[in-house]
Amino acid sequence: MGNHAAIEVNQLHIRYGRGARRHLAVAGLTFQVEPGETVGFIGPNGAGKSSTIKTLMGFQYPTEGTVRLFGEQAGSIAARRRIGYLPEVSLYYPFMKAREVLELYGGLQGLDRATLKRRIPELLERVGLAGKGETLLKHFSKGMQQRVGIAQAIIADPDLLIFDELSSGLDPVGRYDLREVLLELKRRNRTIFFSSHELYEVESLCDRVIMIHGGRKVADAAVPELMEQLKAGNGGRGQSLEEFFMGLIRPAEAA
Amino acid sequence: MLRRQWLIARTIFVEALRRREIYAIVLITAGMLLLASLLRFFDLQGLHKFYHEVSLKVMTTATVLTVIVLAARQLPREFERRTIYTLLAKPIARWEFLLGKYVGVVLAGLFCLGLFMGVFCLGRLFTQAPLDWRLFGQFLFMQGLAIGCLAALSFLLSMLMGLDAAIVTAMLIYLLGQVMTNAMTVVYEFTGAAGRAVLITLNYLVPQPALFDLSAKVVHEWPPVPAWVLGLATLYCLMFVIPYLGLSYALFRRRAL
Repeated sequence: MGNHAAIEVNQLHIRYGRGARRHLAVAGLTFQVEPGETVGFIGPNGAGKSSTIKTLMGFQYPTEGTVRLFGEQAGSIAARRRIGYLPEVSLYYPFMKAREVLELYGGLQGLDRATLKRRIPELLERVGLAGKGETLLKHFSKGMQQRVGIAQAIIADPDLLIFDELSSGLDPVGRYDLREVLLELKRRNRTIFFSSHELYEVESLCDRVIMIHGGRKVADAAVPELMEQLKAGNGGRGQSLEEFFMGLIRPAEAA
Repeated sequence: MLRRQWLIARTIFVEALRRREIYAIVLITAGMLLLASLLRFFDLQGLHKFYHEVSLKVMTTATVLTVIVLAARQLPREFERRTIYTLLAKPIARWEFLLGKYVGVVLAGLFCLGLFMGVFCLGRLFTQAPLDWRLFGQFLFMQGLAIGCLAALSFLLSMLMGLDAAIVTAMLIYLLGQVMTNAMTVVYEFTGAAGRAVLITLNYLVPQPALFDLSAKVVHEWPPVPAWVLGLATLYCLMFVIPYLGLSYALFRRRAL
């Protein structure tokens, strides 16, 4: 295990297509996330957030560069043992009950039956689905399915949580519940890395923010540090994370 | 280690249990078999053979169609629902995932075959036709081999092409395989060296489900086949299943999701 960073991305390049259709989605991205940190990963649509997250999960391969999680190669079984992941949108098996879905994911994570029997009702309650364990997922709304998704991500109490588009598909109550779950995980020193378009969420949850645009990192700083910069009137980039974001993105788009 | 494959396989089996389509196919089949079994009221000699022939053909065809569709849609459906991401985010190797899917499809196919068996046995209560249960057991075993072979083929095709194309191609290959054994024997004698080479290549590339079909023996109440035939059929089945699954894995192993 050692003293490895939870996430270590070094000179990551991701290219899609060939010839004239070749497109560089991520261009030389480098960053680290230390254990216990909560880091927001933000950027406009097409900035390369999802491509980066897919590479962290081993769903995609870097064209160049390296990606390691707790010192292990991204996508390796050893790395995945320590991760809980929630994609942007995920529909679960409609013909299965919520309990069965969680048994599936918990079982894949290596939890035994006794642990699952104890943990599943607790988890369902935590994500606001108490008493819904025996309901088929085809009867769940998109938001309820997303809650099942949160439950499957945290079922094995992972060291690192990776969420692509946090709170996507959730109503305000769902967002509140999710924030509570994340704050509790944060208190227990879990590492959380998530992309989001909800800058308020990022501001309120994160220790640090990494902002990318056009596949390149344009900001990487602790939230208080960013706020200090804002207060000091750094380039007139506004007073909130949202305004800071717009201040960085708009000039880049204009150029 | 096997637990992970079983968990993946179980989802397919649960789906087969809970989806209405399979029961609809069974009901339609039951209706057809009931009609066939009612014919006994005309008291025609040897009519039970007709019942056996119709029911075994219908059962075999319905099982094959179900297995092809079920196998071909496994991976496309995972991508469509995006469950592939949550599943492969867990510590499961891609070969374990594929093997679990394959085992699940075979189990679901056997379940489907089991349902048809129930219908067949119910029909026999009406016809009271004689049946050699040992031979019938061999027929079922061979059907299981055919299911294994077709599931692996459909899996591979779903890696290479879209869902609809994979289903149609698998069915065409199945049909080709059905007639190939007889057609090749006849054509081989009348063709040149190049034609023979094509036929031999086809012989090794395309599984011939006709070789797994013991329905004619059941219908005509011939004696059961010796055990070595079953052994050879199993080897023949593995000769296709292993490379098909191996190729599927080779295509899936480093595939970007």
